[in-house]
Amino acid sequence: MEKNEEYKVLVNNLTKTFKVRKHAQKGFAVGLRSFLFPTHYPLNAVNKISFALKKGEIVGFIGPNGAGKSTTLKILSGILYPDFGEIKVCGLDPQKQRKELSYKIGTIFGQKPQLWFHLPAIDTFNLFSRIYELDQKEYKKRLDYLVKRFEIEEIIHQPVRKLSLGQRMRCEFVLTLLHKPEVLFLDEPTIGMDITIKKTIRELIKKINREEKVTVILTSHDMGDVEDICERIIVINHGEIIYNDSLAKVKEKYVTKKIVRLETNKPLVFKEREGIRVLKKTEFELEAEIDTAKVSFSKLAAGFFEKNDIEDVTIEEPPIEDIIEKIYEEKPKNKKVTEK
Amino acid sequence: MNAVKYFFIAKTNLKNSFAYITDSVFSALFIALIIFIFSNIWGVIFRASASSEINGFTLPAMIWYMVITEAILTSQGKIIVEIGDEVIKGEIANHLNKPYNYLLYKYFSTIGSSLSTFLISVLVGGFVALIMVGPVQINPIIIPFITISCLLGVTLHFSLMSILGILALWVEDANPLDWLYQKLVLVIGGTLAPLEIFPSWLASISFILPFSAITYYPAKLFVQFGFDEFLRITIIQCGWIIASFIFAQLLYKVLSKRVSINGG
Repeated sequence: MEKNEEYKVLVNNLTKTFKVRKHAQKGFAVGLRSFLFPTHYPLNAVNKISFALKKGEIVGFIGPNGAGKSTTLKILSGILYPDFGEIKVCGLDPQKQRKELSYKIGTIFGQKPQLWFHLPAIDTFNLFSRIYELDQKEYKKRLDYLVKRFEIEEIIHQPVRKLSLGQRMRCEFVLTLLHKPEVLFLDEPTIGMDITIKKTIRELIKKINREEKVTVILTSHDMGDVEDICERIIVINHGEIIYNDSLAKVKEKYVTKKIVRLETNKPLVFKEREGIRVLKKTEFELEAEIDTAKVSFSKLAAGFFEKNDIEDVTIEEPPIEDIIEKIYEEKPKNKKVTEK
Repeated sequence: MNAVKYFFIAKTNLKNSFAYITDSVFSALFIALIIFIFSNIWGVIFRASASSEINGFTLPAMIWYMVITEAILTSQGKIIVEIGDEVIKGEIANHLNKPYNYLLYKYFSTIGSSLSTFLISVLVGGFVALIMVGPVQINPIIIPFITISCLLGVTLHFSLMSILGILALWVEDANPLDWLYQKLVLVIGGTLAPLEIFPSWLASISFILPFSAITYYPAKLFVQFGFDEFLRITIIQCGWIIASFIFAQLLYKVLSKRVSINGG
């Protein structure tokens, strides 16, 4: 693995197995024996995964439930201990240098808020400034900046319980950014939010990444988050990385069909050919599925525009969920994609 | 150790505890009821014994003793269950990646949040005791020493509860441990009655166990203060605190390597 200061996260052969306790079935004697002499079975959560993140990169870590996403994030942030593997985050070993690392990273676990529920957000901000041992003058400046940037001036003195979910989440982000983390771990940051709040949060993540060059690693089940925010995706399934590349390349490789809808002002000029499946056709309308593996989409589009007086056109790609599903189906379980 | 951050942790918890002030009031009302009931019970026992003292305790001393023991015991809440739940449900994740010692964080949080409950309990319990049995003679100069002894009792109480909370990682439910521990402190720790009135075999066991250093010693000092006794008690309390805190830290080290938080 390349040792480079530019890399903020370096993971090599990371493996983690959980020991899961077998629960007794029925009966007092069986229950007592299980309590006194518990038996366990191994659960391979992460299996020899390797990847690296450069400074300022924003990467989506995706996979189905139980794939190993959150386990990886928790190992990277020093919460869990791996069985083996080499890990460096900001040049530090998360397990041996957990405390030093905590000053350099920020974490948001969507289902585990850090703000104190009954107190105004400003109280938690002040507490965190002490926990992270921030210089109080610098802290005030930083707080002023973040409060304005995240537009929470009006709400920081209200008890958190009285804030809306979106307002709370903006405060959570300010809290996490107070100590200027170099790497942000975001575990399902938009979980349970409606589409408007999700949009706000996505914009905030992009803003932080752009303005502060923070490296972001994000897990989400919402592919909208990934598509909107991430430049690169790492797909993990059964504890192994099965895809690790830019989102554009994912689409280039896996999006082989597009749906085109055309409306024309004059009667449509169109000739059927291989790679085009007509779904609907009238004198002034066409809906067709284009197989981009067989037909050059750009040439086809240029031809349409040349021969027709186009009133309206829409192009639909399959949703990212379908693409990811395709990756899950396509990659055999034992095929691993390592370092990027 | 950066003392400032722990001071602010306690301060923020104190402020937060005002949001739960009704809990403190209910806790104090419970103590008021306990003091009322025991004032009547001990009143009957003292009248039956036709003596002004039982094992060196007068009736007011017996009741005021209980005000202090109950205030110490009820001020902290269910730390075992709290820590156990954090371990089992994964809430501990938000602590493990912060630049502080988890157990010290919990300790100072407890000190902050239990202060208001303790003071309200002493005031309400003391008020009922005053009405029921009258005052006890104490010299105001001893109050700082009693405060130290109560603080050490609370610290030991926390330390022992944190050990059992961490053990929840192995037993998977902290509630039975909490139930058992609270009953031990209540009965053989001398919370309900001073150890002097116990049968001698039980008293000798209770004296060597750490539970007596939580409520019995501070409360006894309050009603029967002696400077030499204060020093002896402080040494006993500090010894138990150091031993239990070191054990809790070692256990926590093992825990932090074995923690297995459910993924998302």
